[in-house]
Amino acid sequence: MSAKFLLPLSFLVCFFFSGFSQHKPCKKKEFIESLCNSDKLHKAHLLLSNNSLEESYELIENLKLGSEAKLDKDFEALILFLEGELHRRNNSFKKSVETYELSLSKNTTNNDLAFYAYIALGDIYISGIRDFDKVIPYYKKAELLLDKESCPEKQTLLYNALGNINLLSKNYDEAEKYYIKGLELYLNNNKTTQAAINYSNLGNLYFEQYKDAKAEEYFLKAINTFQKKDSTNINVRQQINYNLFAVNEAKGDYKTAIKYLETSNTLKDSIWNRDKVWEIADLGKKLAVEKKNQELQVLEAENKLKSAQRNGILVSALVLLALLGVSIYYYKEKVKTNKIITSQNETLDTLNATKDKLFSIVSHDLRSSVNTLKSSNRALVSNLETKNIEKLDQLLNTNSSIVNGAYNLLDNLLNWAMLQTKQTYFNIEEHRIYMLVEHVVFNYQGLFAEKEIKFENNVSKKDKILADQESLKIIIRNLIDNAIKFTETNDAISVYSKVEDENYIQLIIEDSGLGMSDTTRLELLKETSLLSKKENEQIIGTGLGIQLCKSMIKKNNGKFSIESQLGKGTKMIVSLPKVGENG
Amino acid sequence: MDNINVLVVEDTVSESDVLIASLEANNFNVVGLATNFKDAISLYHSTNPDVLIVDIFLNGFPEGINVAEAISVNPDKAKPFVFLTSSSDRQIFERAKLTRPFSYLLKPFNELELFYAIEMALEKFYKQKDVFLSDNEDTVITDNYLFIKKGKALKKVLVEDIIYIEVEDKYCNIITEKEKFVINISLIKVSKLLNPNQFFRTHRRFIVNVEKVEEIILSDNLILLSSGHKADLSDNYREIIKRVKTL
Repeated sequence: MSAKFLLPLSFLVCFFFSGFSQHKPCKKKEFIESLCNSDKLHKAHLLLSNNSLEESYELIENLKLGSEAKLDKDFEALILFLEGELHRRNNSFKKSVETYELSLSKNTTNNDLAFYAYIALGDIYISGIRDFDKVIPYYKKAELLLDKESCPEKQTLLYNALGNINLLSKNYDEAEKYYIKGLELYLNNNKTTQAAINYSNLGNLYFEQYKDAKAEEYFLKAINTFQKKDSTNINVRQQINYNLFAVNEAKGDYKTAIKYLETSNTLKDSIWNRDKVWEIADLGKKLAVEKKNQELQVLEAENKLKSAQRNGILVSALVLLALLGVSIYYYKEKVKTNKIITSQNETLDTLNATKDKLFSIVSHDLRSSVNTLKSSNRALVSNLETKNIEKLDQLLNTNSSIVNGAYNLLDNLLNWAMLQTKQTYFNIEEHRIYMLVEHVVFNYQGLFAEKEIKFENNVSKKDKILADQESLKIIIRNLIDNAIKFTETNDAISVYSKVEDENYIQLIIEDSGLGMSDTTRLELLKETSLLSKKENEQIIGTGLGIQLCKSMIKKNNGKFSIESQLGKGTKMIVSLPKVGENG
Repeated sequence: MDNINVLVVEDTVSESDVLIASLEANNFNVVGLATNFKDAISLYHSTNPDVLIVDIFLNGFPEGINVAEAISVNPDKAKPFVFLTSSSDRQIFERAKLTRPFSYLLKPFNELELFYAIEMALEKFYKQKDVFLSDNEDTVITDNYLFIKKGKALKKVLVEDIIYIEVEDKYCNIITEKEKFVINISLIKVSKLLNPNQFFRTHRRFIVNVEKVEEIILSDNLILLSSGHKADLSDNYREIIKRVKTL
């Protein structure tokens, strides 16, 4: 029979799991919680409820030493109560009993606290110390603290406890009395599950007294009290079924007994299953959570990946944009340079064409010169044979003038080439224009005499300019050549200087020759121009001389202009930088 | 007046012929013709030229520049020179230009250009710019000679031959033992350039070579000079007396 005894005992501990609906805190935990009016207390109680005993103990010790505990006995009683609870949970039953007793000795005015202290003490003697004789006095003291106002939860708790202890002490009548009191209360408050438990307890009671029929009746009542047979009361149901099995076994009704045993076992399985299900549910939950977490991680990873991708795309887009910009820039630059190159090419083409033309004219000139020289030489030889001295002289003079012309042309060509390649020595110095004109003109004296041209060098001997000596001489030579070319017998050529302004002196080569049209004049002043021979077959030259002049004047920091009237003559004006009076 | 001594350094015979002919036709005294560096240096030392005409290219190398460098080394013995060249090649010119004072003549040249180049060389060498070309002056004065432009050509007069100088407006009459001639030069410049220990102002119009003084007649304010020349002595310019007395 002893095996059966354990069943109701297990009930005692887990008795108060469902509360009555009431305003005032009635259940022990709620009630204690309501008393905990400071953070520390609250925390201590919470830690205690969660079985964090050591931390709770520290807090309680701390609170005991605090000044408040010594001033307020209710507070002290509460702390001691909590300590007692602590010891009990720590299975230090004697220490627990001492502490609870100490708590009660504080004569607290709080009856509830005292009530629970007594209950606790009783419980310790039942389940801890197992001295059943000591239990009932505590419960009785607790019963004294009850009145009609006391909440049913406390009453039922106490009645059940008294019922249980009397059952254990084999005071069956007392036990029955208290069980029935509790049952009454439960039934009145429609607490079916608790009522069922009470029925079961009564069944146990009768079973102990070998009143098997009555026991079976109560067990059956218990099993039928459940309004719903679900997972919330499955443990109780299984135990009741087991009890029914035991009763029927005792009665010898084995068939019924087996049926109940089977039900009990099924329920046991269900419990196991339920637990399993819960576990599985838990596992499922965990799995789900993990899955969710994984999903989250995956999502995060995806996000990261996406953001990385996005960043990558952004960066590559930027790079592409930059590339595009750069390429557009270079394209534009290229277009620009292409334009420049094109225009340069055009200029080069025209220049090339000019040069080609120049070549052809120059070579033509030279060829005809040399050809004339050849035939003239032949004439010379034949005249020498016939000793026609007069004719010889004339021919030599012609030859000399031809050679002079050719030489001048070649000289200009050379100078032109040298100027283009910048190979010549070029040194700007002070010079008197008069002397340079004299030097150049010296070579033309014969020509002037021959052509009967009146020549005058009227340049002021004082006028000094800044120029490169040789290039200035080339300029003067060409301009005088030109003047001679476009003058006829008895015309005059004069060279003179004129102060243009404080910075420039003009050197003017004036002739009273053929002059030129305005078109020709403007054509000559153009940057690149060569005159063909179409206008005046005999005397219009290559234009190389004038081009050379213009380039050299420019290099000497001078200016060039032409004044001319057709039929009246031409003025070639070269402006050159002046040297100051004291220079 | 004496002719100018010219030393020609030119390796091309046809060109040196033309050059020498041209110089001699205008009363220049060609003291020698060298065709290489070595001859040029020895002739330079033996002939005492007043000016050198040096072709830059001698036998295909710009040795003419070396000649110019050699004669310019000793400032006491240095003489003016003219570079002669047919090329206006810049690099050669840049090198030649380092031999200061620098004067050049580009082939082909005419007489005027030749004489101009010689004149420029003298002016630059003696640092008397703008003498021969200006209307006002025609004489370069050095320690030993007066270089005087006569027509197209140049003449020289030994300074120690001068007995006295008589100033007339912008002109100066130079009186030597042998001759008497006029030069265009300002009195200020003459007195500045002539050696002040040798030439003394004796009168507003007279500069006298102290070495030619034979007697000073103070009572008549007259200075008797060699070869029977006379110069006035005014009260304002009596410095010469101290000098003569110390002699």
